Amino acid sequence: MPPAIHPVDLLRVLRHQRLTPAIVFLTSRRACDEAIGSFEHRQLPIPPTRSSAITDVLDHMIAEYPSIADHPLIPTVQRYGVAAHHAGHLPSWKIAVEELMRQGCLDAVFATTTLAAGVDFPARTVVITQSSVRKDRDIVELTVNEIQQLAGRGGRRGKDYVGFVVVTPSPYIDLGPIANGLTNHPEPIDSQFVVSYPMVLNLLKAHSIDHIQPILEKSFAQFQLNQRTDAYETKLDDVEAQLETYGQRECADWIAQWQSFSLAKKRRSHHRRKTQHDPPEISAQLAFLTPGRAVELSKDYAIVLRQYRSRGQGAPMLTVIRSSGRIVEYPASAVTAVIDEVIDVTEARRFPWCTPQSLEHAVTTLEQFPARLRRLPIRVDPNGADNPILTETLMDEFPCPTCPSRPACQKDHPQALKLRQEEHRLTKTIHALRTELWHRFQQHIEVLQKFGYLTPACQLTSEGDWARLIRINHSLLITELIRMGAFEGISASLLAGVLASIAHDDDRPASFAGRQQALISTLGQVRKIAHSLSAYEEPPLLRLDVAAIVDRWIAEPTLPWSELIHATTMAEGDIYRLLARTLEYLSQLHGLRSTHPGLADIARDAMDLMRRDVLQELP
Amino acid sequence: MTNDTLANQLAGLSVRLLHRLAKNRVPRHFRMGKNRLIQTLLSLSPEQQADLETHLSSLLQAHPRVPQPPKHGKGDKPKHEPNVVSRPALPPQPSVPAKPAISLQALLEGIGVPPPQSFKPDDWQQEAIDRLTTNDVILSVPTGSGKTYVAIEAMRRAIKADRMVIYTSPLKALSNTKLTEFSQTFGADQVGILTGDRRDNPQAPILIMTTEILRNLLYDAASGEIDMRLDTLGLIILDESQFLADRERGVVWEETIIFCPAQARLLLLSASIGNPDEIAAWISSIRSESCHLIQHRNRSVLLRAAYLDPGGKLAPFFRTRDIARGRGFALHPETKRLFANYEEQTLSPRSKR
Repeated sequence: MPPAIHPVDLLRVLRHQRLTPAIVFLTSRRACDEAIGSFEHRQLPIPPTRSSAITDVLDHMIAEYPSIADHPLIPTVQRYGVAAHHAGHLPSWKIAVEELMRQGCLDAVFATTTLAAGVDFPARTVVITQSSVRKDRDIVELTVNEIQQLAGRGGRRGKDYVGFVVVTPSPYIDLGPIANGLTNHPEPIDSQFVVSYPMVLNLLKAHSIDHIQPILEKSFAQFQLNQRTDAYETKLDDVEAQLETYGQRECADWIAQWQSFSLAKKRRSHHRRKTQHDPPEISAQLAFLTPGRAVELSKDYAIVLRQYRSRGQGAPMLTVIRSSGRIVEYPASAVTAVIDEVIDVTEARRFPWCTPQSLEHAVTTLEQFPARLRRLPIRVDPNGADNPILTETLMDEFPCPTCPSRPACQKDHPQALKLRQEEHRLTKTIHALRTELWHRFQQHIEVLQKFGYLTPACQLTSEGDWARLIRINHSLLITELIRMGAFEGISASLLAGVLASIAHDDDRPASFAGRQQALISTLGQVRKIAHSLSAYEEPPLLRLDVAAIVDRWIAEPTLPWSELIHATTMAEGDIYRLLARTLEYLSQLHGLRSTHPGLADIARDAMDLMRRDVLQELP
Repeated sequence: MTNDTLANQLAGLSVRLLHRLAKNRVPRHFRMGKNRLIQTLLSLSPEQQADLETHLSSLLQAHPRVPQPPKHGKGDKPKHEPNVVSRPALPPQPSVPAKPAISLQALLEGIGVPPPQSFKPDDWQQEAIDRLTTNDVILSVPTGSGKTYVAIEAMRRAIKADRMVIYTSPLKALSNTKLTEFSQTFGADQVGILTGDRRDNPQAPILIMTTEILRNLLYDAASGEIDMRLDTLGLIILDESQFLADRERGVVWEETIIFCPAQARLLLLSASIGNPDEIAAWISSIRSESCHLIQHRNRSVLLRAAYLDPGGKLAPFFRTRDIARGRGFALHPETKRLFANYEEQTLSPRSKR
């Protein structure tokens, strides 16, 4: 989006305040070109002496780089002293603009924010029109580093007393991030270490597998991981120190011992679920509420005939006989006191749960009870005493029930267990951080072994020995294509076309007229293979249009640059970069001349045919 | 109700109530402060204002007005400085600015070209060059403060000692610029360039290449296929080292530093980054010599900031003349006002249509 202020007005203000020369950072290439174009409609010419100075410099540049002679922007530059500088232009044009700027011929250069690092020329003023940029289809805010990178171009050493950052609004602006970016400290940078197939092959070529891990440990990635590890280790030490305070217990690993003991206890009691939820005072009583026991209920005394569990909740229940002779069911909690008196009751298996004699005996005893009876004091263990029966059965398996450390273990266990778990978690994290890179490296080794570039002993096979020389993105795809013989007997233009479509990773839309059947079918095959490799390597875009551009550039050695440009909607800077990148890929194939002489020759031919016209101007 | 009384009533409301009033009337009202809310509400169309007044009176009944004493504490923080509002209807806002904001004249003072001075290297530049004889050096200084001078002097020393120098940059375009620059300094026969597919003057003592090319050379050297005089390599200069954090290419910088021959000194040139000390510690930990960090944030040319309104009016960006580092910021009231106006214009429903 263009800035809210008209570019001509912007330049007028800057000139008026003596703030020129300026670099104006805009959001898009199009905004830059439109800004330059708008000067044609609003006349703001520069004095003729400046114009002629510009012409002199340009003539000088044209002599060196003939490709800029017919650049459509030259008249505008000469008349208004402004230029655009972005990735859509040829490198030679950008060099010319930089040279003009260095000579002080220009008042303003309109550049895109994305190429701030490539803008290697200062000006008195930097104009910022945005606080966010488009990155991979997202709009993200500029970081402090980026804003300082932009602002850093303001003020020329030796040519200015003072430099300026001028902020002017556009729809993509908020003042906060810019002000923050100008005043704040830059962000720390983090390692972006990735393991790639060429890296694995090259390292294993030079070093044996045993020496790889120390090499990976030298990376900045590991250095930063180690710093995180250090933080975790301090935490771990802290946890271990806390665990120390529990001191020695009877068994070596009392936490684990107690853990399994209490688990076993829980599991056992699961079978007799009924004891599970009793409050401690009830479970303490239960042992005494055997048949024949006298108890005190809310009003009077009763004698227990039976103890049982309710069907539904499993609550402890009692069947009692009261002094009135009635047989009643009560929950155990209804017992207000246990009396220190037990009478003989012969149990029976069905109602009334005892022999009639016992029943009669009970009733008479109840009638003879004095008003006050001695209550049985019942000690309630606040920690919940174990079911004596349960404890007994566990005794065989665990030393805990009789262990002298038992109360201490029982008390400390919950806290200690938490600490122990934390300790395990930290140890695991630390181990993961330590071995992360090595782990990733091993994953790559496995893939390379699967494809036969590495032997099971992690040595390079004959295939691996040449494959390591392909040190570019999508190296696995390219080496696989070579092994399948996909490039055998292929024409130079087709080879370059395929490589271009593998190399090109920009999804900026473009179109190109005229495509070849051979290219379409070859790319179709490559796409299939790329898809089959997608588990191991991100497949490239494999765009047909970029392949066709490169194919045509090589297939027609007399085609002038300008005609190639007109056949596509891609910017010429992008085409230049595409061709340069393809050249780089071709030169990697050329590097295989000792093992694949045929392919290397085709690559050589393609490179020779490619390097003409604009592509020959710069190294 | 006249505009003035409405303004007074609004000013007496709490911000919360103002936001409630602005809801469905003002787009993106939640981004606004009290003053801007009041201004925007006052600038609504007459029909909307009538509606607003009824809403306001009902709100006032529900929340009887509590006169609030003006808060003085706020004035200490210039960040919350109320806007200078031209509308006379607004009650004067209490403000105790710490220092008067700078004027535009004062901001623009001193523009000009300094007389040519004989160049004298700064202390840190000399320190960097001296350190390079024994140690690796990281240079993290602002853009344009003279990193290249250090690079050139270090190269000069290396060549004098009959050592080879490799200079890497992240972009081919920068490589070309440096080729021209170094050729002018050292003579064209002293500088060579290596790209993926071309080698110009590869026997020269100074070689320029992209970092990827150097990484590949180091790989070849490690596997014993030396086609380079790496044993005479005395200095590796990595320009734009902050590319270490590049998502796709950062790993190349790491590999280069890890595999850098022990006898060669490393010079990392970087823009200002947050943790150069960390990088220095890393390099020290993996290389035989310790890595010396030189950093400062002082620019050699002062930098000031201004705000340019779309209407063509220039204003200082900050309250202070120079850009303060790491101490927070306070925007100039004039800039705040102009930007508020701009946002209001672009955000109003009329302009959206």
